[in-house]
Amino acid sequence: MAATTATAAPVAQAAKPPRVVSRWNPANAVTASRYLTLPFLWWAVDHGYHQYATLFIIVCGLLDKLDGLFAKIFDCRSAFGELFDAITDGICYGFGLILVAAYGWAPVVPVVFVVGMGLANSGLRFVYIKRAGRTVNFKSYAMERIVGFTGYLIGFATGGMEVRFFYWSFVPIMLVIVLYDAKRMLVDPVPGVAGVAGVAGPAGDAP
Amino acid sequence: MTLVSDSTFRILLSVITGGVGGAWAIHDILFIARLRGADRRDPLVSDQRFGYVMGIVIGLIGVVGTLRFNGVL
Repeated sequence: MAATTATAAPVAQAAKPPRVVSRWNPANAVTASRYLTLPFLWWAVDHGYHQYATLFIIVCGLLDKLDGLFAKIFDCRSAFGELFDAITDGICYGFGLILVAAYGWAPVVPVVFVVGMGLANSGLRFVYIKRAGRTVNFKSYAMERIVGFTGYLIGFATGGMEVRFFYWSFVPIMLVIVLYDAKRMLVDPVPGVAGVAGVAGPAGDAP
Repeated sequence: MTLVSDSTFRILLSVITGGVGGAWAIHDILFIARLRGADRRDPLVSDQRFGYVMGIVIGLIGVVGTLRFNGVL
């Protein structure tokens, strides 16, 4: 069974051997279940069911909150889980944004900007992993908040709520955050293996 | 095919957006206030400070958007 080591071990406990956490744990199962909402979201958008589409993106967002909670309850936090959560955020919300733009429910230009910046950020995370030399999730308080906003963006499109206002407000904020995090990932020193702040934190605690 | 009436849906959207946005802005204002006096050169502190500022901005955008949605602004 594949496994990974637990993250964020305090420096004082560095002498202890790292606890092994299976990748097949309840928190990762909840994260994976988010993909199940995507076909239903597509179905609702395709049929013009705005309320159902909103419901499915809300369920996807709530599952994102639940996986962090499950990780705490079952004590199964891991670097892999955090990375899996971040990748799932990108895929689910990227899919949702492209979907609503493709069906004309959201303006295409800001969606292209947002998806492009999301991909750039993902690429930077892999560069950061290479710099760190191990599987590690780059922790960013600002990015956690913008990810929450991204989920909302899809909901604004499906609900028809001030779509242009929210989408165009999002672009400059995301640009500032991506540039700030790019500097941290590419230029700033990578924190040590002992779990120094900035390497990892609780999974799924975005707004 | 709908789940609730249009007016109920509108209220739900307003609560989910404006309510959460306002609460989140207050949450991050309180958290950033806690950081007063913390070492600004600490990378974790500067990341937290930046994140909370962005959280406040995002929360306020949620509130403004909700007010626009309801014709207040």
